[in-house]
Amino acid sequence: MRATLTALWGEVRKGLLISWTYKANMLVSILTLGFIFVGIAFFMGGGELDPERIASSLVGYLVWMYVVQAISDLTYGLRGEISAGTLEQLEMSPAPAGLLLIGRVITNFTITTLQVALMATVMRLLFNVRVSWRLEALPALLLTLVGVLGFGYLLAGTMLVFKQVESFSNLMNNALAFLNGTFLPVSAMPGWLAGISMSLPSTLGIVVIRGILLEGKTLADTWYEGSLGWLAVNAVLYLVVGIAVFWICERAAKNRGSLGQY
Amino acid sequence: MDSEQKTIAVSGLSKTYRRANGEQVHAVKDLDLAVPPGCIFGFLGPNGAGKTTTIKMICGLVKPTAGEIRVNGLDVWQKRSQAMLQIGAVLEGTRNIHWTLSAWDNLIYFGHLKGLSGQSLTRRAEDLLKQVELWERRKDLVRVFSRGMQQKVAVACALIADPPVILLDEPTLGLDVQAARTVKDLIVCLARDQGKTIVLTTHQLDMAQDVCDRIAIMSKGQTVTDRPTTELLDLFREEHYQFQVAGTLSSEAVSALEGMAIEENKGGILISGAIASHEQLYDLIAQLRSFDLDLLSVNPVEPNLEEIFVHLVDNHARQPEVEA
Repeated sequence: MRATLTALWGEVRKGLLISWTYKANMLVSILTLGFIFVGIAFFMGGGELDPERIASSLVGYLVWMYVVQAISDLTYGLRGEISAGTLEQLEMSPAPAGLLLIGRVITNFTITTLQVALMATVMRLLFNVRVSWRLEALPALLLTLVGVLGFGYLLAGTMLVFKQVESFSNLMNNALAFLNGTFLPVSAMPGWLAGISMSLPSTLGIVVIRGILLEGKTLADTWYEGSLGWLAVNAVLYLVVGIAVFWICERAAKNRGSLGQY
Repeated sequence: MDSEQKTIAVSGLSKTYRRANGEQVHAVKDLDLAVPPGCIFGFLGPNGAGKTTTIKMICGLVKPTAGEIRVNGLDVWQKRSQAMLQIGAVLEGTRNIHWTLSAWDNLIYFGHLKGLSGQSLTRRAEDLLKQVELWERRKDLVRVFSRGMQQKVAVACALIADPPVILLDEPTLGLDVQAARTVKDLIVCLARDQGKTIVLTTHQLDMAQDVCDRIAIMSKGQTVTDRPTTELLDLFREEHYQFQVAGTLSSEAVSALEGMAIEENKGGILISGAIASHEQLYDLIAQLRSFDLDLLSVNPVEPNLEEIFVHLVDNHARQPEVEA
């Protein structure tokens, strides 16, 4: 157990060090995300920025940033490790490789939290977008990330076998931005689209977090109204299915001898 | 010898891949290997012979279709976690390490992956970086290193948990002469001074001849030979002779020497070729004398691993495929 935790810490530390190497890229990336958000907000506001309306989109957008970073790292990041041959070294750790991927998500959570804090501060200073940040939203965010981790496992497993899933990853990232209720509330979607939206790994998380941060609900309120419960079910389902798919794909890659191929 | 006495014991190992068209490819067929402790084991063969697949099966990265692999008595697939602590590997054709980390951070990272932490890890990392003469450059990102330095970091990372077994798949590939020599010296040092068991695949046969205690040659997924290096060389030394003679070769003599190489040199005529037995050797000497040739010297030819390799692999390639 201690060895596994040490290996997990090794993954987190490595991720943070590599991110620091690419700090300039990260800054440009946060600027890009900021410009895109402001652009969409202007477009949706018919050329005006309404701070109250933007706050709702901003919460969704910030949650989406966590999702995008996690998914990208578990696909593009893993692909990079495959081509560098470091994935095979990771697989030679006494700790299970699948478990070590959690280290990547922890690293992403840390880095994305810094990016989110920066973006929220800039939005407040430039556009007076106010969100009452409360720690009570953290469990909902963590539950959302559990679901995203499961979705990431699913993509990572698929990557081990089929290799080229970056396009699918891009598709998912963009689809999530427009279907998870960030800009268009789920209640405004047609029934069939709302069904798809609610089944995605981040939509319920955004609903619960918005309720806590913008509507002043408590965690208990979200539990009683059902959204937190459904978020938990959604997260556990994604995690279980994701782990199962990853495990099957990892075995298939070892059987095919394609683990280190790209 | 009993598999328990061997650091690496491979028995009945096979790997069959299925192509998209359904065709089966036997990458490794019923392979047996036994590598004693402290041995530098050369694993040679042409491209596609099955060396890398075998190495990856020993590392637990490719699942065998059949057979068993034990490292220090631990089954690689049944007792994976413990077996992985016995092995350090530098695999072919990839970086193996993170180029965007410093040499120091790479060693710490791979140490963590093996479950090491604290002072024991930092001390080990320091020792290894000093051993590979990169201590002064420890804070530099690996991407700015030369290829040879990067390979030295990769070898150091493979050694971080002080594993008794090191698997090196083409460790000198793409290195210049000097860097290859450094890696070669490091390999010898690891086995002779630290008692590591090393499995080495390489196409540099002169290096294999220099450093390996035992050599297995693979072709088409099977071992063609698996012997101590000296025994392998002796076997061919006994079979090849050179005769230095003075005089003129008659046409009768030339036809009698069919199959032997004949060339003129400063001392007269040099005749060389394979002699199957001592009786045949004595017969040939008598025959040369009967042609009025002065026999100046008879010497066994110093064999070269490259020639042996080509001879064995070519012979094996000419044999018809036998389905298991």
